[in-house]
Amino acid sequence: MFKWMLACALIFASLNVQAIDDPWLALQKTAFAARELNYQGVFVYQNGNQTRSVQITHMNNAGRELTRNVVLDGQPREVFSEGSDIVIFNAKHNKVVIEKRRGQNLFPAMLPTDLNVLKYSYTAKFGPVERIAGREAQIIDLVPNDNFRYSYRVWSDVEFGLLVKMTLMNHQNQAVEQIGFTQLSMLNTHDLNWFQPKIDLTKQYVMEEENEVHHVTNNWVVANLPPGYRKIDHIEHLVPGKTTMVNQVIFSDGIASVSLFIEPMKKGIRPKMGHKTVGSTNICANVIDGFQVIVVGEVPAQTVQQIAKAVSFNKQTTAIK
Amino acid sequence: MKEQLSALIDGEFDTNNADHLLIVAKSDGELRRAWNTYHMIGDVMRGDSVFETQMTSRIMAVLDQEPTVIAPQAVRSVQENAEKSMFKKTAFWSVAASVMAVLFVGLMLLQQQTADQNIMNPVEIAENLPSEYLTAHQTYAPNGAAYYIQNVSFTEQR
Repeated sequence: MFKWMLACALIFASLNVQAIDDPWLALQKTAFAARELNYQGVFVYQNGNQTRSVQITHMNNAGRELTRNVVLDGQPREVFSEGSDIVIFNAKHNKVVIEKRRGQNLFPAMLPTDLNVLKYSYTAKFGPVERIAGREAQIIDLVPNDNFRYSYRVWSDVEFGLLVKMTLMNHQNQAVEQIGFTQLSMLNTHDLNWFQPKIDLTKQYVMEEENEVHHVTNNWVVANLPPGYRKIDHIEHLVPGKTTMVNQVIFSDGIASVSLFIEPMKKGIRPKMGHKTVGSTNICANVIDGFQVIVVGEVPAQTVQQIAKAVSFNKQTTAIK
Repeated sequence: MKEQLSALIDGEFDTNNADHLLIVAKSDGELRRAWNTYHMIGDVMRGDSVFETQMTSRIMAVLDQEPTVIAPQAVRSVQENAEKSMFKKTAFWSVAASVMAVLFVGLMLLQQQTADQNIMNPVEIAENLPSEYLTAHQTYAPNGAAYYIQNVSFTEQR
């Protein structure tokens, strides 16, 4: 009797499994769906004690990806993106500041299109099917192979493959960051009328002061980088509120990213030390050889701490710079 | 006026809405301004710098005001000559010895000062969150789940 039940359960399970039985393939479909489909909806983002609702419209118009995000809570803010170009309309007092950004993976396009890099650090597993924003969604877990990263739970729409929800979970399986649709519909139009900001005639529109960013290669090295992370960029720029250039080195394991900030210590300014957790973000400050080192990332505390301790300047080739 | 309008609607983000155009064509005030702003997004998106021409002329104007230093090289070489002849004078060496003594004491004092600086109490970031670094991380790191949302709350805190 038990054997028969087991057989039935197995048959039922195999019927329930979708056409795709490799979780990596399902993730691949999810990564592309967010960029290729036309949809509109409202999603909620939650990190620590902060919550924001955002209205999104996304369209792929003959390979050109257009997105409009309207932040519904707090100060009025609209984020427009076309490909990797992002323009933000940010209401501040009696002005609207227009900011330019580049290349972010905005929700729901949060998975990288090249998933191969993730395979080193994560294992993909199917979970059950759940209902999100009125739609059936397949859970796919990205479970880390070590303690240097959080785990990602992805809900992928059964019908279209669109990522409808994602949570970041710590080692205790507590959600530290959540982002997901509360309402979602597919768009069946090529009309681009929606791709314009709501203009407030009482406000003055100004461009944000251009923040000079240089891509640099110098001799800052992290001797003992946590496994799976590699340097993906190194820039030098003025962090708002600073008068000297700050080095920012960005590391990623394919989905989680960490920024390392290095700047010379200044007379009369107290050095920053210690550690702090804000929602999913861990921040660690250290002082090495007269330099202020700050590491920030949506990663476990031990990852930022290890990087903050291992920074050094490779003096051998300084003469080149 | 007509040329301006046709230039405006040439943009990629043209809504093809004739009613819009008519309203803009009739108005000179705030609606017209709104229309211009709307098209500025297109320019910004395409990477056309709206203010580029203005910027160049401003830089040129500042450059014009800079005084031209004609012969800095000559000035330096005169100084070098003076220094070289100094080494040959015997009086120089006796003065040099006393200068060294003063310098030594001075250096010791200076070292003490820097040591004092190092003792300066560090700020625990747990008490005083360096939000500017968080914002910079969210702006430039590749996976910005949070950046356009969190930024809002950081601006509110300021």
